[in-house]
Amino acid sequence: MKQGLLLILSLIALTSLCDTISQLFLKSAIDFLKFKPPFNIIRIFKFIFKLISNPWLWVGFGFSLISLCVWLIVLSRADLNFAFSADSMHYIFIAVASRLILKEKFTSFRWLGTGLIVLGIIFVSLS
Amino acid sequence: MLKNKVTFKILFLLIICDIFETAIHFFFKKSALAQSSKAIVDIASALDFLKATFGSPYLWLGLFFVVAVFIIWSMVLTKIDLSVAVPIASFSYILIPLVSIIFLHEQITVLRWLGVFLVLIGVIFVSLSSKERLEQAK
Repeated sequence: MKQGLLLILSLIALTSLCDTISQLFLKSAIDFLKFKPPFNIIRIFKFIFKLISNPWLWVGFGFSLISLCVWLIVLSRADLNFAFSADSMHYIFIAVASRLILKEKFTSFRWLGTGLIVLGIIFVSLS
Repeated sequence: MLKNKVTFKILFLLIICDIFETAIHFFFKKSALAQSSKAIVDIASALDFLKATFGSPYLWLGLFFVVAVFIIWSMVLTKIDLSVAVPIASFSYILIPLVSIIFLHEQITVLRWLGVFLVLIGVIFVSLSSKERLEQAK
């Protein structure tokens, strides 16, 4: 049972990690276009067209697809309520990525929030 | 400038997001459950499982809700800031366990509920420490 739990948690970590990487690629694709208001239909269509011709977007989608596949495998063997809470692990990965890769500054409030998520996942996994 | 004016319309859209988010994972779970008899031991059996799951209408229903949430969420974020939207949109952390109990007959212990609430509070804290809030505080 314990070994099964470890495997499921590793798979959830994998899907969260792919999700995080996907988000980073989507963010770089969107930031690259520098889309600013006003938002009207023509400008939105132009934006979407430019976005789908950006290769980073498709790399991001590739990671989303991997994330979905792993998520389906997780759901075939774990309870939904457990898997969904444990999947909030991506907040931890995003925190680490923002700190290390994007060099964003963190407030103590954010550390506290991330700490609570870690504690929550431990509680959810123990029961 | 912090965009924090939650109108009735935005609140309604955010609640729709909560419900649709829950629907996504409920339908994904249904599609995976239908193939739960398949043992996944290696890459080949995993691909076999995924092939069968992608043939399930539940999965496509789930993906439909993914697209719907994406569109509604993008609309909401042009009106209010992420740090305002995320706490309201985090109620799926409560809705999913409820749906799991009612429709999937899963069991949730007190310790697990406690974990769920800690995760929820953590998510709200993280979203409140966003850039626009920090700039507002200066």
